[in-house]
Amino acid sequence: MNFQDAVRKSIKNFFDGKMPKNLTEVSEGEIVFTPEWFDGFEESLKDAPEPEIEEVDDEV
Amino acid sequence: MKFEAPIPGSNLLADTRKYPWHRPPDITTYDEAVDYMIERMTQEENAEMLYSMLEIKAPVVSIVSGLLMQAIAKGKFQIDLAILVAGPIARYIQILADDEGYNYEMGLENPNRIRMTPTLLKAALGIVDDDGEEEPDVVPAPVLPMGGLMGAPEEQEAGVASEDEQAAMLGMMPEEPVEKEEQDVPLA
Repeated sequence: MNFQDAVRKSIKNFFDGKMPKNLTEVSEGEIVFTPEWFDGFEESLKDAPEPEIEEVDDEV
Repeated sequence: MKFEAPIPGSNLLADTRKYPWHRPPDITTYDEAVDYMIERMTQEENAEMLYSMLEIKAPVVSIVSGLLMQAIAKGKFQIDLAILVAGPIARYIQILADDEGYNYEMGLENPNRIRMTPTLLKAALGIVDDDGEEEPDVVPAPVLPMGGLMGAPEEQEAGVASEDEQAAMLGMMPEEPVEKEEQDVPLA
């Protein structure tokens, strides 16, 4: 298994909602960037209003 | 015998600060690593590169691998941690791509994987299927050179004798009954 295969496997596991078991023990506390956090981030992006494009007047 | 190999123990005397990844990593925790990568992706130059790669439909796995390799090469974190944070980074890129409306490809399927089928398995094991009638191999007729002294004669010019003629030439024809010569009738 090369690096890219390992990355692919890691991504698959994360997308399936699996996190490494001992990660919480090593990180000394709660983890911020969990799959749930990214779901919330995605929702917040969807709910955010689209930025209005300012019209530039050509008149001088 | 290999003479160009390094001397045993030479690694203990080598300069351990020659490359960034020889030094202790800057980041050692999961959240810090993800935060660093997200912050890096939001920088203008890196964001341009990211969106350009999504535009040309580069697989997200390849983009993540490239970003992580850069961070490892800079000595930001070690390979183990890089593999751990690959998932969150891919998810972040996926969210950005969805938000911007890119038609991206994740690349989670291994392109080198050979899909196993019964036919492929039989071929690998050398099993010959006797049930089905195999179609005979059609060997194309060789193209003969036409024309010239050494060329093959055309069919019309070949003048192949018919079967009767060939049999006659070989003397295999039944002998024809010899008619008796008419005897001269003496005139009275």
